Amino acid sequence: MAAAAILQAALGTGREGQPHLSFRDLRKVYADGVAALDGVSAHVARGEFCVVLGPSGSGKSTLLRVVNGLTDLTSGQMMLGDTALSPKSLRGIRRRVAMVHQQFNLVERASVAANVLAGAVAEVAGWRAMLGWYPPELRTRVCEVVARVGLDEIHLPRRAAALSGGQQQRVGIARALLVRPEVILADEPVASLDPAISREVLGLLREAAREQGATVLCSLHQTDLAREFADRIIGMRKGRVVFDGKPALFDDRAEAELYEGLAVPSPETKEKAYA
Amino acid sequence: MREAILQTGGHPRPASEWHLRAPYDWRAALAVLLIATALFWSGQRMEVGKMLNLTGEAVAAGVGLKDESQVGKGLGRMIGALFPFVIEDRRELARITDLDRDALPMFTRIEATEVTTYHLNADTLQVEQQVEVKEYLVHPFGYLTKVLSKMVETFEIAIWATIISVLLSIPLAFFGARNYTPNRFAYSASRGVVSFLRSMPELIIAMFLVLGFGFGAIAGYLALGLHGAGFLGKFYAEDIEAADRKPQEALTALGAGKLRVLRAAVLPQVAPSYVAYTLYILDRNVRMAAVIGLVGAGGIGQELKGRYDTFEYGHVGTILLVIFLTVFVLDQVSARVRARLIG
Repeated sequence: MAAAAILQAALGTGREGQPHLSFRDLRKVYADGVAALDGVSAHVARGEFCVVLGPSGSGKSTLLRVVNGLTDLTSGQMMLGDTALSPKSLRGIRRRVAMVHQQFNLVERASVAANVLAGAVAEVAGWRAMLGWYPPELRTRVCEVVARVGLDEIHLPRRAAALSGGQQQRVGIARALLVRPEVILADEPVASLDPAISREVLGLLREAAREQGATVLCSLHQTDLAREFADRIIGMRKGRVVFDGKPALFDDRAEAELYEGLAVPSPETKEKAYA
Repeated sequence: MREAILQTGGHPRPASEWHLRAPYDWRAALAVLLIATALFWSGQRMEVGKMLNLTGEAVAAGVGLKDESQVGKGLGRMIGALFPFVIEDRRELARITDLDRDALPMFTRIEATEVTTYHLNADTLQVEQQVEVKEYLVHPFGYLTKVLSKMVETFEIAIWATIISVLLSIPLAFFGARNYTPNRFAYSASRGVVSFLRSMPELIIAMFLVLGFGFGAIAGYLALGLHGAGFLGKFYAEDIEAADRKPQEALTALGAGKLRVLRAAVLPQVAPSYVAYTLYILDRNVRMAAVIGLVGAGGIGQELKGRYDTFEYGHVGTILLVIFLTVFVLDQVSARVRARLIG
């Protein structure tokens, strides 16, 4: 398992030239006239853990939701590998992309096992989905991912609502991991968790994604966590990318610019994406 | 320009110019006045004053403040006639053709009653008294057994009616839920059907169906099933609309279609209230199954109507008691089922 993980990670870095996700001049104007995305262009390499930072309302969530079509674009193009996002390719893309949500988005009344299994609801045969009779391999896989996110066998039959916030988000991650997605979108996955738990959950998300060779696009509002976990940081302000580079380059000045809009981006911080 | 709009969201106003509305104003007072006027007008048409008067008299008579009341007398006579409840079955022996006196059916006995008749002797012009002995085959719990078996039949009608309601209302709810219906037409059609079914009284549906399917249980459970679908279709759909959207979005984001999202993210949320609604409809069906028997749609109602029309009020009392006990027991059982499912 570890060897495979290293191999996959290496494979990911080896293909950095080919972006896994590419955004070309994305624009999203909501009905009230607010431009959530105002010409966003960026590329995310395969296997990268890319953190999107920015103040509230900067368009982080919108950018993530564009990837799986939860929000549709006003203009621009989103590519996953060689596939462009279109109404026709939407279902196919969604099945390759998993999502971890800020509010966990679990069925609170359902058990942990049922919530994780629901991650495969789009994959199994229709009658299986309707009867809730998932194949035995999937049930084995559920145990695997639930163990992977640090939960125990005793949690399987518990109702999601009975778990703590941190545990619920672990279930959310397990659901996302279940069908081995290529891309994991994490929309402020730790915004409702305390700092210590946040660190654990992010570490878990990063390691698990790395083992599966999944690319992660994760929005955060804690810059310290971004510096600690990201392979790459994209900073957004008012729908525009104002920073794009390695965490090492995200210094106090870049942070001040991002959150307070103090200065015009200087050349060394406005590094071009892995062109 | 855009920045300005983003920051202020349009026109900034100092807090001193803000306005927080009072919880209600003169419009609410006017509405209350209008409703009161309407109720007053309707109350006169409905003779609410007379109702209060008569009820007051009956209560006064009941506690001895008044000699007698018309309502109290009428109701009292009727209610008195229900007692004692008849639980035995009594048949005149002379009318039973093949009865072996040495091998009576189980639990039965023969009772003899002396019946005195008077008639005029044509020769003597005297009124003569004649004592006749009439024999009856008495089954001590015969009538109760019959009522209970009718109640079982009624319960079966209620069960099948509920099954029909549930099966019909599943598609009705899917098409009638704003967030799952494929298009506006399907939505309106489904809501229309649901309203129509709910607006048709089951007694009337049963009368029509008796014409088609003949007397008996079929007309009964179809009528109740159709009417119940009008309720369940509405409640199911409204619960789907009100279900937490977050898990639905999570599964949509994974590429699941509407039906799969409905099954995996909505059904677990709405299941307890669906069970509650369905149990309510079952409870209602048991009560209504007793009523639609009046128009010949099977069950205990048919028996009830027969006995009522032949003034056998003791039998009517037994039937009413059995219906009440069944509804009471069902209520206890369904409360327990609900508690287990929701807890």
